Amino acid sequence: MSGVHRVDDSQARFSLSVWQPILKRARASPRAIIGLLAGGIVVAGIETALPLFVARIIDEARKGPDAVLTPTLLAYAGLFVLFAIGVWVFIDAAGKLATNTAHLLRRDCFAKLQELEQAYFDVRPTGWLVSRLTSDCSKVSGLLPWCLLDFAWCTAIVVAVTVTMFVTNARLAIWALAAVPVMAVICVVFQRLLIASGRHARRLSSAMTASYGEMLLGARTTKALAREEANLAEFQELSTSMNFWAMRSAILSSLYVPLMTALAATAGALVLWRGTSDVLAAEGVTLGTLIAFMQFAALYAQPVQELSQRFADILNASSAAERIQSLLATSPTITDAPHVRAPDSARILELRFDAVDFSYREGIPVLEQFSLTVTRGMTVALVGATGGGKSTIVALATRFYEPVAGRVMIDGVDLRDRPLAWFTERVGLVPQVAHLTAGSVRENIRYGRLDATDAEVERAAQRVRAHAFILALEHGYDTDVGEGGERLSTGQRQLVALARAVLRDPEILVMDEATSSVDTATEQLVQGGVDEVLRGRIALVVAHRLSTIRRADLILVIERGRIAEQGTHKELLAKRGRYFELYTSQFAADRERQILRTQDAPEEKSVATLTLEEE
Amino acid sequence: MSGAPSTPAIAPPPLATLRTVLRMQRGEQAKFAYAACAMFMSAAFLYLVPLVPQAIFDIIVNDGRNASALSRATIDCIGGADAVRNELWRPALVMCALALFAAVGVHLKSRLAMGAAERIARKTRDQMYDHVQRLPVATLDRIPSGDLIQRCSSDIETARNFFGNQAPEILRSVLMLLIPLPIMAMLDWRMAIASIVCVPVMLAFTAVQFRRMGPSFGRKETTEASMTANVTENLTGIRTVRAFGRGAFEKQRFEQSSGAYRDADARLYRLFANFWSVSDLMCFTQQVIVVGLGASFLANGSLELGAYFYFLTVVTMFIWPVRMLGRMVVESGKALAAIARLDEILREPVERDLDPAAEQARPAADNSRGMHVVFSKVCFAYPGGANVLDDISFDLPAGKTLALVGPSGAGKSTIIQLLLRFMEPASGAITIDGETLANIPRASIRQRAGVVLQQPFLYSKQLRANLLAGVRAASAHDGALEVATSTACIHETILGFPEGYETVVGEKGLTLSGGQRQRVAIARALVANPRLLVLDDALSAVDMHTEVSILAALREQTARPTRIIVAHRLSAVVDADLILVIDGGRITQRGTHTQLTQEPGLYRTLWQIQTEVEDFDLKSEVAT
Repeated sequence: MSGVHRVDDSQARFSLSVWQPILKRARASPRAIIGLLAGGIVVAGIETALPLFVARIIDEARKGPDAVLTPTLLAYAGLFVLFAIGVWVFIDAAGKLATNTAHLLRRDCFAKLQELEQAYFDVRPTGWLVSRLTSDCSKVSGLLPWCLLDFAWCTAIVVAVTVTMFVTNARLAIWALAAVPVMAVICVVFQRLLIASGRHARRLSSAMTASYGEMLLGARTTKALAREEANLAEFQELSTSMNFWAMRSAILSSLYVPLMTALAATAGALVLWRGTSDVLAAEGVTLGTLIAFMQFAALYAQPVQELSQRFADILNASSAAERIQSLLATSPTITDAPHVRAPDSARILELRFDAVDFSYREGIPVLEQFSLTVTRGMTVALVGATGGGKSTIVALATRFYEPVAGRVMIDGVDLRDRPLAWFTERVGLVPQVAHLTAGSVRENIRYGRLDATDAEVERAAQRVRAHAFILALEHGYDTDVGEGGERLSTGQRQLVALARAVLRDPEILVMDEATSSVDTATEQLVQGGVDEVLRGRIALVVAHRLSTIRRADLILVIERGRIAEQGTHKELLAKRGRYFELYTSQFAADRERQILRTQDAPEEKSVATLTLEEE
Repeated sequence: MSGAPSTPAIAPPPLATLRTVLRMQRGEQAKFAYAACAMFMSAAFLYLVPLVPQAIFDIIVNDGRNASALSRATIDCIGGADAVRNELWRPALVMCALALFAAVGVHLKSRLAMGAAERIARKTRDQMYDHVQRLPVATLDRIPSGDLIQRCSSDIETARNFFGNQAPEILRSVLMLLIPLPIMAMLDWRMAIASIVCVPVMLAFTAVQFRRMGPSFGRKETTEASMTANVTENLTGIRTVRAFGRGAFEKQRFEQSSGAYRDADARLYRLFANFWSVSDLMCFTQQVIVVGLGASFLANGSLELGAYFYFLTVVTMFIWPVRMLGRMVVESGKALAAIARLDEILREPVERDLDPAAEQARPAADNSRGMHVVFSKVCFAYPGGANVLDDISFDLPAGKTLALVGPSGAGKSTIIQLLLRFMEPASGAITIDGETLANIPRASIRQRAGVVLQQPFLYSKQLRANLLAGVRAASAHDGALEVATSTACIHETILGFPEGYETVVGEKGLTLSGGQRQRVAIARALVANPRLLVLDDALSAVDMHTEVSILAALREQTARPTRIIVAHRLSAVVDADLILVIDGGRITQRGTHTQLTQEPGLYRTLWQIQTEVEDFDLKSEVAT
């Protein structure tokens, strides 16, 4: 996980390949690209032409009362209108290009995430992935149009101005260009320094935000330890070095900008010096030309500055681009092999684990030589300490992971020889925390089978005894459950998840029972739904409720990746072994909980007493 | 435009915010004053630069008969007409020098203003950090942490930008507009007026436009937020999505929400396109007026070439900043709103002891004995609420153990919080060693008490640093550390970690299980050798065997602190000298374990469950 966290802006090299997927999606907006380039070139052309027009106006006006100014002035004003249109076109095109490219990137990244296997998500925190899809995509796409525009504009203006000047007066043109190399060097040097200190500042800024977060999270502990001063001192180390790098950036840019303007003025002065003598010597240089050249000379500062700024932007964004590229380049490892074939029967009669080994990380085995056979109509309850491997077993049964050794088989055929889509269609999952999405109750239940009719949805709800509470909601089945189902209680959310599973009517049902305490009435309600969901299927349950455990056809006590004990409830109790120990403490815990109405211990996956601490 | 501001415009804040602004920049006034001077200087020099070519045009290129007084004065400054005519590098050099002075001014202004802004930001960051961590628990519970973090990070950033960029830029735009006025008026009053006719229109236009964009910014934000919510929802439920094979459905949903965001964002770009092109057109209109009017004056001989050149150059120098001025003013409004939000937090009262020096003046406490804690008729209620604690009285002699038992929400933790002065009782008195608690500085009582909360927090640093977090003296040696970790049954576990005591835990390091965290927290409390040890349901995630070992080790501690144990498992409380059963904020039963098991009540019911489990009636179970 740490490897993921630490990917930051350390990348400072420009590599085009990283930008390839972004450019590819940018090509989907050809009109915007044309608009940008055309807008940039038109604007650059007009900017070059304006000083020439002013020159003509001046030279014309100096003729005195006979001067014919109106046509030139009108053309001059016309250019401005054209210029404004150019500006409108390129900004609007930039918007289209940026937003559409970002959209396509997000869409494809999202689609990729839907294909990737569970293991990909195990090592990447949700928040981290979310910012790939939000800030990274916006960042690189927001940059794109301005880079294109500036490359077009800068090239056009440099070419146009240079050509115009050389055509008009080559000697004076060289003087006008004298300051350009110095400008370029200064830009490169300063941008480099600015990138470095900006990177430090960004790193420190996120460290400070993290520090604020920690301060809030640990506020009570800090108070209890009376260590406010020590905390502040630690924070001040951060804010001090932040101050250092920010000051460095500030000083650098406070030197950079005026240096460039001074250089632009110097270029103008050089032209004035050489040009005036030419005018005086009457060497074909008019006053208007001289004035135009002075403006041209100053004009060079802008493209030089813009270009170096864009290079800096690209470098700053390259780590974001790299993260996007690597996400898009990841291919799922759990896919259909070429030889997979769907069986003729839609039914699954048996699920079998055949000497399965599994580990999340090499060298740390989670399951070893695990074998189990579950037949249709059978409910298997998995009990035991957290970390023992219960969740892994159910994850293997849904093909979220694949065994390292051994096989998971359905009706005697390796799961890997069946099409993923065919199998998925026959699996139902009731996770520990019901996953509801913003939308109506109906939509959330229908998630189990998208083509279900309203009547079928309601029947499913009735079967898990959710119908009554749903009707009692403000808009019945059309009630919006809010983000993550926040408007429903925990128990209600669980019922919706159960209804969803029933609607799906899966061959194999996998359930990770919730441990969060609900009141006794709700618990009984939920239990009714659970029985309904489990009936007549191949059911694997990571069980926490006594009633579920007691009713299972087979109970497995899973410890350290192996089956420590197995049998029915009665058999196992008679043994007075591990199950007996777990069951009795669970029994006590349940009773105590009823009396004390306690919450669960922090972050423990099962009721505290059932948990044998795994180290 | 890509850096478009992300918060919608907020109504201009009241005068109070301006006072806050003044308070925040206290200590930096001199820097800001110098920056303003530098700004004035640079603007003045910038407008002197084109005076040089204008003089050249009038006197050297033309014959100079109609040259303005300003042109003559300029040429005289450079060394007189003859010298200039022969040595044309002179005016060039003067131009360079003036430009350089202007550049130095710009540099000084940026450096001073940005430096001051950085110092203000740093001061504010530290201040916010310290202020927030000293807010009372009740306040911290009231304000969502996301909101606080937002204020500490982006609002401070906005304020920094205001002091370092926006405010100076506004001043600069104004100066750039005002400084050339006298020069222009001296050269030609007609042209001077013509040069600024568009300015008021532009100011009004930009201000109105930016205000109008508010709803579109809002729309962009809401669509972005709902798209982010969509992604987060999908990723947190990715197992369900996979298990139900709903990839295609989810993709379609996401494409919609992402598309809505794209459209809102593109709409904003469109508004910007409108704004920039129209305001460009306004700037150009101003320029065309100057060029056209000037040319006709030039043609009829009422305007000198030099002056014409000056107006041409200068109009571009002030018209573009004017275009930014409107935007800057609107953005400053948002910055002021951010500053107001910061101020709102800084105004929240912190936990303050009457006399901070009191702690130093206090006689050194006797560390060899436990605390003597007495509660008499203590009541507590949240403002406007019913009593959470009612008439709590007990006397806990030094070195003894008190156990609190009862349902969640009964008020057990509130008693602990009152003892640590996280909150103050509504009535009644608490005394520690005979001294009224309210007179003991918070830091003092907290330093002497070792507290383990139910959900202990570990800092993202090494385990050793975490364990020593509550120790003042730097002298705590490894021996004491090990004793504490052994007592808490975590020593062996720590040695098993890749880097032992140097292992970094928390967000950036190793994730500990709930039970491990609780044990580290117990050790952390013990290292400081507290006179009062409080375990607030601190063993809830520890397994039964370890719990027994820890409790046994605590009993054998040599310097026994007074102990208060809040527990749900009775095994942890049977040895207590006094057990209080708390229910509904009142003490419903009190006594020792033996006494309480004799009388009917909650305690006996709980105890019966334990006994029931111990002689688990297998037959009855099998019979069902």
